Amino acid sequence: MSLLEVRNVSKYFGGLKANDNISFNLEKGELVGLIGPNGAGKTTLFNCISGLHPVSSGEIFFDGENITKLKAHEVARRGLARTFQVYAASGDLSVEENVMVGCFMRTRSRAIARARASEILRDLKLQALSHYLVSELPVAAQKKVTMATALGSEPKLLLLDEVAAGLNPNEIEEIMAAIGHVHRDLGITVMLIEHVMELVMKVSQRVIVLDYGKKIADGKPEAIARDPQVIRAYLGERFVREHVREAK
Amino acid sequence: MEAIKSALDFSDFPRTDMFIAGVVSVFLVCFPIFPHSSFAMATMIQFLMFSLYGMGWNTIGGYGGQVDLGKAQYVGIGAYTAAVMLTRWNVPFWVSMPMGMFFAVCWSFIIGYPLFRLKGHYFAIATIATSLVLKDLFEVWDFVGAARGLEISPIKYSPPDFLRLIFKQDVYYYYIILGFFFLGILYVNWFRKSRLGFQLRSIKDNEDVARSLGINVHWAKVKTYAIATAFVSMVGSFHACYIKNIEPEDTMSLDLSILIALMAMLGGAGSLWGPIIGAGVLIPMKSYLKEWLGARAGLVGIDLIIYAIIIMLVSAVEPRGIWGIVERVRGRKAR
Ligand SMILES: Nc1ncnc2c1ncn2[C@@H]1O[C@H](COP(=O)(O)OP(=O)(O)OP(=O)(O)O)[C@@H](O)[C@H]1O
Ligand SMILES: [Mg+2]
Repeated sequence: MSLLEVRNVSKYFGGLKANDNISFNLEKGELVGLIGPNGAGKTTLFNCISGLHPVSSGEIFFDGENITKLKAHEVARRGLARTFQVYAASGDLSVEENVMVGCFMRTRSRAIARARASEILRDLKLQALSHYLVSELPVAAQKKVTMATALGSEPKLLLLDEVAAGLNPNEIEEIMAAIGHVHRDLGITVMLIEHVMELVMKVSQRVIVLDYGKKIADGKPEAIARDPQVIRAYLGERFVREHVREAK
Repeated sequence: MEAIKSALDFSDFPRTDMFIAGVVSVFLVCFPIFPHSSFAMATMIQFLMFSLYGMGWNTIGGYGGQVDLGKAQYVGIGAYTAAVMLTRWNVPFWVSMPMGMFFAVCWSFIIGYPLFRLKGHYFAIATIATSLVLKDLFEVWDFVGAARGLEISPIKYSPPDFLRLIFKQDVYYYYIILGFFFLGILYVNWFRKSRLGFQLRSIKDNEDVARSLGINVHWAKVKTYAIATAFVSMVGSFHACYIKNIEPEDTMSLDLSILIALMAMLGGAGSLWGPIIGAGVLIPMKSYLKEWLGARAGLVGIDLIIYAIIIMLVSAVEPRGIWGIVERVRGRKAR
């Protein structure tokens, strides 16, 4: 049984088809990239899966259960966590307190939430920042804090929406390490939206491509990089020249 | 156990804060011993009552960011429950006060459940409306004395009556409300660090993010609104026994609702000390202004002008109020 099953999901905003009949499965333990040009509908798809947007049609199954009609907090409680593209983290709370908000999903006890939070922060090498306000941190650290907060809720599936956007190469390296850790060591299934191609192609086991709300490709990174339709829609010839050839 | 420990734990505040809080506490406990006028005593009692109103408001309005301008309806429910039960059935305060809280909380669910589907300004306006409707109802409801209100006549009792809270000297009222005041601080100190407190702060920041962290946003708001209500109703019951003469116009007026919100915002919404600081600044100012204006009838209304100026200053200078300024100077956050 797949961990996540998206069946013929469409989402319309008025006349705009932001998601147009999209279907795919995620297996337990997979790490899947979701790419596509700006406005392709990637974030909208995350919003539909996580229950923030009601879908216009189609069905979504998580861990065998139909979650199409569930509210966002109910979906989250079943073990589906996500980060947001624009949102950093609650600036008024310290790093540790932010992560505790996530941990409080699984416990009422402040002491337990706190212990879990510091464990996660240690895991993601953020413990030195525990007592800073999130608003005082650089973007890269803020992004890691949102990941840590999502992990606080002990998810089975983690949806990451552009966690590497706006970061420099060193920082991207760091966040890739963090994602690798979450996937490999914590055994969490991950789906990530990313424009930074180096990152997606390197870490993903499979890549799904959206264009104008439609799924236009789904397969191994190498195959995706060679797919003419994807190249036309998104990647551009240069990327293929620089990255696919050298990988061979 | 963990809750009590957390309520008593102020260790995330710097030492200087705790020192100041200690000095103020000692002053509050000793105040009646010093020579004072009855006017000063009445002002102090008002200060403590409004601090508690503000603490209640602050849970939903400050930590939760839901601007509530209808707290007076719950003052009214608390006050009327205590007064009606005492005058009609001789029910002591310690029974009628929790009953009042119960009624107020029930009413808060009826109001809060639909109103929290509204966003931002609509919510604030709707709270004003429900409060005014309840006041209008009480003004025509004979059972509770309609517009004449209710009077608790002290002659019928033999003060000091600790069960019914009927005293001749204000100092008794002072110590009772001071006890509530300290308990209120401990409660809010627990609340702000509790799961619900964290959830509210997350909601205030971004509701979609809160939802995706498993928080039932609507329910968290309704619950917190009930907590705020319980605070306010409790003080309302006390108000009835203390003032002994209540009518809809003073216990449920829009003025009162606005004053409660304004004080908490001036002192610092979403911080533990904010409402107390706000009450400490505004209540003496209001009392003295009123006394001073009593002799100069032509200037009535100047307090409203002053409130308006305060609102503008808070929103322009530092939305987190006086406490926000303190924290900014120190380079720290609200607590
Ligand atoms: N709440 C909304 N209401 C109306 N239109 C929306 C809404 N959210 C997204 N859209 C539209 O849906 C389309 C897909 O947007 P979406 O944010 O999903 O794209 P994306 O693939 O995440 O793009 P980007 O890479 O820029 O983040 C866009 O045309 C966008 O304007
Ligand atoms: Mg997006």
